Amino acid sequence: MQASLIVAAVGFGLVTASILAIAAVGFTLQYAITNILNIAYGDVMTACAFAAYVLNASGVNIWVCVVAGALFGAFFSLLLNRFVFTAFLRHRTPLYGMIIVSLGVGLIIQNLLLAIGGPNFFSYDAPSGSTVRLGAIHLTQSQIAIMALSVAIMLAVHLLLRHTTLGKAMRATASNPALARVSGIRTDRIVDIAWMLSGALCGVAGVVLVVNTATFAASTGSSFLVIIIAAAVLGGVGHPYGAMLGALTIGLATELSATMISPAYKDVAAFVILAIVLLVRPQGIMAALRTEATGGI
Amino acid sequence: MSGAVQFYISTLLVYLAVDVMACWALNLQFGVAGLMNFAFIIFQAAGAYTAAVLTLGSPDASGNFQSYVFGSSMPFPLPLLAAAAVGAVLSLVVGLITLRRLRSDYQAMVMLVVSIIATTVVTNEIRLFNGPAGLSTIPQPLADVLNLDPLDYQWFYVAMSVVICAVVYFFVHRITVSPLGRTLRAVRDNDAAAAALGKDVTRMRMFAFVVGGAIAAVSGAVLVQFIGAWAPGGWLYPETFVLLGAVIIGGRGNQLGSIVGALLLPVGFAEATRFLPPIGRPGLIDALQWVAIGLLILLFLWFRPQGIFPERRRTFDGSGTPNRAWTR
Repeated sequence: MQASLIVAAVGFGLVTASILAIAAVGFTLQYAITNILNIAYGDVMTACAFAAYVLNASGVNIWVCVVAGALFGAFFSLLLNRFVFTAFLRHRTPLYGMIIVSLGVGLIIQNLLLAIGGPNFFSYDAPSGSTVRLGAIHLTQSQIAIMALSVAIMLAVHLLLRHTTLGKAMRATASNPALARVSGIRTDRIVDIAWMLSGALCGVAGVVLVVNTATFAASTGSSFLVIIIAAAVLGGVGHPYGAMLGALTIGLATELSATMISPAYKDVAAFVILAIVLLVRPQGIMAALRTEATGGI
Repeated sequence: MSGAVQFYISTLLVYLAVDVMACWALNLQFGVAGLMNFAFIIFQAAGAYTAAVLTLGSPDASGNFQSYVFGSSMPFPLPLLAAAAVGAVLSLVVGLITLRRLRSDYQAMVMLVVSIIATTVVTNEIRLFNGPAGLSTIPQPLADVLNLDPLDYQWFYVAMSVVICAVVYFFVHRITVSPLGRTLRAVRDNDAAAAALGKDVTRMRMFAFVVGGAIAAVSGAVLVQFIGAWAPGGWLYPETFVLLGAVIIGGRGNQLGSIVGALLLPVGFAEATRFLPPIGRPGLIDALQWVAIGLLILLFLWFRPQGIFPERRRTFDGSGTPNRAWTR
């Protein structure tokens, strides 16, 4: 195995980690605040990618489509929350029921996309730009843009959670919703915002995933969900910072195993890490670092 | 009845028997013990694969046109028993990863991942599982001994499936009405309380998981020996959702309900669309069928979450003796 191949794989790993971090932070943030495990997340990602595809096909620049995907995701998630998830919660659906509801919603979205788009692969009209070389790492300009976007989003999430009143309210709601309510926080509004934020991240992740991999089909999001879950559980579900760390680990692990073992076993590598973490530290790597001061998230 | 109609009905009856067994297994795990086994279908697939390779004979004998491991030609009941053993062992392994110390939503999530990863591995391991093509020409049990004409063999298989079904029913029923079943329900309804009363919660969950996995594998074995073919594409995670839906619609925790659920969802729903005229592009009806199944389950969770036949709670008369209705 040539060292340069491994270094190149690290480059691709960082790109995958960047996309994964956006998706996993969205997934885990929504879980932390709403306590609903959203298995439909991957399929919402596909829906956002599809919405961006429709726009892109009519001639809109791909980076504008990323923004459009984010807006679509935010709006779509808000609707899902209002008309499905919160509705079922108010209907006193137990925890197991909520999980099945989210699985059902995911299947419905995925198959509606299949019914609308057909069993085809779609690709964006997005020039990937010239290749940039950093030693053995060869990345396209759009891949570098994706990494920059991801870092910017992570910083924004950090600033939001730590340095704004809204972020404080979100952390309070995640930590103890009843206590947050009696402290005057409108938790239902926070839950709506959490869904929108999660949906926006989901939308960005969905579109940049396709920008990076070039094509998508109706099942793209649900297969990506595997490594989202691996990254989120690795970091401890409900911990955005853990999800970032988990995304970095899983992103590098999948691309390195793709180079060193076989591309078909990318996700299997993620699963092996997940299984080891579950056997050794089921609470995830971030739980130990969690203190009272950080207030849940 | 004409031959074709008999053929059709007998095939449906075998499918029904397989789905009912699978639903009972899932009901034991999900309905009685409260486990979110989103990987259920892979235990059924594992049983089916085991029964297939144990009856196919050595791959060399058929000119190596498909590759698999442990090829042998075991006589009839052995492949079923081996399938049950493989289902149990696989459940034990998956259970060790997922059932200890994990919240039920964590469990569900990890099980889903297990199911998807299992499909990936099986599809890519050509030498072990023959890849996406899967296995074919799996012989039917006792076909060479009985020498029946095809239609009579169909009815023989129906009878055999019903007998296996009855054995499974008896087995599961004994568990659910026993103190063990009561403990499982206690773990489902309030695991902290069960643990406080000295029940080993993880062990109870593991028990239901392993027994359910073994039964799932048997149901897969019965199915694969009937249809004679096995491919990883037939055992994807949404299939678990259909069985889960059947258990919910029938009534979580109720074995009679599972029969009705299996009749309505995996058998009834799949067959109803078969008679629709082909509209739109190929695959459109399939996609819309999944949408309809999803909506149906959501509607049930909204309007009748306890299912058509709700679980019967044990009741007591004034003196503290259990009412008769339970013991039926």
